Amino acid sequence: MKTPLVILLCAMLSISVQAQHILISKTASISFYASTPAEDVEAKSDKASSVIDTKTRNIIFKVSNTSFQFPKKLMQEHFNENYMESDKYPASTFKGKITDDVDLEKDGTYNVTIDGSLDIHGVTKNYQTKATLVVNKGTITAKTSFKVTVADHQIKIPTLVFAKIAQIVDVKISAVYQPK
Amino acid sequence: MKTILLTKKSICLLLVTMMLATLQSFGQQDLEKELGNTAPAHEKVSATFKSTKLINVHTNETIFKNELDFRIDHRFGDIAGSNGGIRRFFGLDNATDVRIGFEYGLSDRLSVGFARAKGATEVQQLYEGNLKYRLIEQTTDDYIPVAVTLFGSTTATGVTASDDPSSGTAYRNFSDRLNFVTQVIIARKFNSSFSFTLTPSYVHRNFTAFRDQNDLFALSAGGRAKISKRMALVVDYTMPFRNGSDQDYLEQQSGIKYRNALGAGLEIETGGHVFNLNFTNATAIEEMQFIPQTTSNWLKGQFRWGFSIARRFSFNKKNKEK
Repeated sequence: MKTPLVILLCAMLSISVQAQHILISKTASISFYASTPAEDVEAKSDKASSVIDTKTRNIIFKVSNTSFQFPKKLMQEHFNENYMESDKYPASTFKGKITDDVDLEKDGTYNVTIDGSLDIHGVTKNYQTKATLVVNKGTITAKTSFKVTVADHQIKIPTLVFAKIAQIVDVKISAVYQPK
Repeated sequence: MKTILLTKKSICLLLVTMMLATLQSFGQQDLEKELGNTAPAHEKVSATFKSTKLINVHTNETIFKNELDFRIDHRFGDIAGSNGGIRRFFGLDNATDVRIGFEYGLSDRLSVGFARAKGATEVQQLYEGNLKYRLIEQTTDDYIPVAVTLFGSTTATGVTASDDPSSGTAYRNFSDRLNFVTQVIIARKFNSSFSFTLTPSYVHRNFTAFRDQNDLFALSAGGRAKISKRMALVVDYTMPFRNGSDQDYLEQQSGIKYRNALGAGLEIETGGHVFNLNFTNATAIEEMQFIPQTTSNWLKGQFRWGFSIARRFSFNKKNKEK
């Protein structure tokens, strides 16, 4: 008899706790850029989703790999088919936490450090990055950039096209969070 | 009593820890749940095939907007049989047909093409113009289970008109030199390594040899199976539906038999280039020719070594904003 009661209690508690502290962005933008001797590779997605919990300072990012738009469509096809293997690994995810003790319910600009794990191509790696958060009347604007080493995520590039594809990719992220 | 109290205490402690743990995990899970389903709805299947053609038959693929596909197809002579063997260096001394073609993407769905082919029968010096339109695209969730692409081509022959009125090239005017092909290409990518296509075709030739058919229906089937990330086996088969009595007459007159075209090959994709090494009994490359006029027999060694090279160029302006 006790256990269901406890679960119910917990569920109720967690519902009441989460509601006000969760901000969400459905149109977060992620772009990456890599320069190679042969050509520049760049792509952007405006369809990333992100959610931030101002209480726990947990943050999650998720983007569908097929939502990245390349200026060269053939490159986009190769990106999905040969490198990201989007049919096997449809999304890339970042799960992290803001390590600084900041109150994200107060307006202001915060330079913070985010610690977390990035899952690309089914391979998870720990990352730490600096981010800027601007809190303004309940909405948060976030910006960050970091570097991803392609080999870290076991994305194999055949030697034939080696020169065309960079080993280190600059990733830029921006998101505007609204209360749920 | 003491022991009971202790147990009560420990139960309480356990409950609190459980509650905290549940709260914590609820928070994490919920946070991810808040994101909802991030996968796009009815996402289009990409790269059903890697090239616009398998060996002889077209795939449902078109060229993306502002991209140009430059393609060379080559068919050598018979490997074996009376026209092959070591004397002809297994067919490498001859080229039964050569086609050089360009296709350009007007949009991601519509491409326009132009090609010049040698032509394999007496109907030679072929100039082809074509349009290819992606009508329906397959979706990953099978909301739309197949892709449908329409293909239409007009081919003009440049060969000098023959004096023999029963010949296939006894052209009287320019319109006699025109040939039309319409295809409905139905394709499905079953999984990341296997795709299949089924194509009904209608071929109309304004002028043909005596009692040869001006209008001909045909059915093609083809498949691509990946054997590695960059290599795939490709097969296609084309079956024209000829009128029985006319076929008998033609076969008696010329002593040749009409055959269905079968091709099998290896496709290698290197990112930008697609190479195709194949064997086929079809001597011709153009649809208006290989569909009605394939007369070589695989079983007699009348198949040939063929290859194609396709190279994609992009003319998309670079995205300036970052």
